[in-house]
Amino acid sequence: MKTIVTFSLAFLLLLCSSHATVDDALSYALQAAHPYIKEGFTVREDYWGGDLPVKQQKAIVQQLFKGNEYWFWMGTDVANAKIAVHIYDAEGHLAEVEYWKNKPHMAAARVVPKVSGSYYLIVEIEKSPLERTHWALAYGFR
Amino acid sequence: MTTLSSTDQPVLRKHSSASRFLRTLPWKTAGLLSLFSTAFLSPVCMAQGEPPRNIDVGSLPATVVDEIVIPVPTEVFGVLDKLGSPNWHEVLRSVKTENLGKRPQVALLLGATIAEGFIAVEAQEPEEVKKIGRQVLTLSKAIGVQKSVISRTSSIIEAADKKDWKTIRTELDGAAKDVKQAMIELNDDQLAQLVSLGGWLRGTEALTQVVTKNYTKDGAELLHQPAIVDYFERTLNGLNPRLKNSVLVKKIAKQLPELRKLIDPAGGITSQKVEKIHAITAELVEAISSQE
Repeated sequence: MKTIVTFSLAFLLLLCSSHATVDDALSYALQAAHPYIKEGFTVREDYWGGDLPVKQQKAIVQQLFKGNEYWFWMGTDVANAKIAVHIYDAEGHLAEVEYWKNKPHMAAARVVPKVSGSYYLIVEIEKSPLERTHWALAYGFR
Repeated sequence: MTTLSSTDQPVLRKHSSASRFLRTLPWKTAGLLSLFSTAFLSPVCMAQGEPPRNIDVGSLPATVVDEIVIPVPTEVFGVLDKLGSPNWHEVLRSVKTENLGKRPQVALLLGATIAEGFIAVEAQEPEEVKKIGRQVLTLSKAIGVQKSVISRTSSIIEAADKKDWKTIRTELDGAAKDVKQAMIELNDDQLAQLVSLGGWLRGTEALTQVVTKNYTKDGAELLHQPAIVDYFERTLNGLNPRLKNSVLVKKIAKQLPELRKLIDPAGGITSQKVEKIHAITAELVEAISSQE
């Protein structure tokens, strides 16, 4: 019985710590978003998140609408990690008009869609001292 | 939280006009020019760490995330506002929350009601917004997730009194996220997908109503949402039999392939197609609003 309780507690702690790090990654993504709110961007409450090993990418398919402008903000809780987000259209052509990275904890890309439809958001941990690095991606539009 | 060092500025890279020009060329020419510029010309547009200009979407160099973030109606309504001046009062309608049916219907209706809230904001109708805020709470209570939205609905009602439309939009988006999260925590994640589906159906019905009234190609193009329709088709196919056998869910599942065909931009999303999409979504929203 004691073993079961110990295992359950350990599992719960692991779960909590895993959530905490994605939450921290999200807080950096939202910190990156902050200056853009003043420029009229509405930040969505929904977001994507998880963990990735270095150099492994993750693709997110997202619907974007012509007539809007979007910023995607990526965050990580690992201070000396290098992260990046890039946006491709449905044909696989690079669609972003601007991006930045190499800021501690954050990266971002901006797109002004030429057509309404599906776009690919590619996130990557370029460098990190950890085996797996937590990340979160938020977006805003205007 | 760590503060940013003032010396550690972000690297800002705008894709140069040269890089955009290269993308318009046939790939062999572009490739040669690109090699030439890498070797001899400006190091700026080909800076190290630049993303590839093209990727093969048929075999992505990455695993694909299954989850799609469903756009909020405002993302679409905002574009419609830029294209013209829709009469949102005509689009807005009363939501009924009496005689609620089974859980799938309540979840779909909850999503549709939140979408109605976005329409009420477009119409700038504070009394309707307050009513919708209270209805969101009633519907959330019917499926046992009211605790998750109490503060959101209070904020919606307070903000409606102040006509603070920006806050109402944020709180409606947050209410949708919070009820879905609460359902997931109750192991009802499939029900949470129905909230998204209900919201999307009502949002699409509203969009087609506006575009039918004043057809423009740009307005109709907003209906090109293949990833979303595919996602909902996958979601409904994967539902457990208890939800899948709901008459309402079956009715929606039957219409999604038809909607998928109509939103295909091949041949253009004509005014006739917009009208058909409107007829289908209006019928489905009506079914959601009636007792199962």
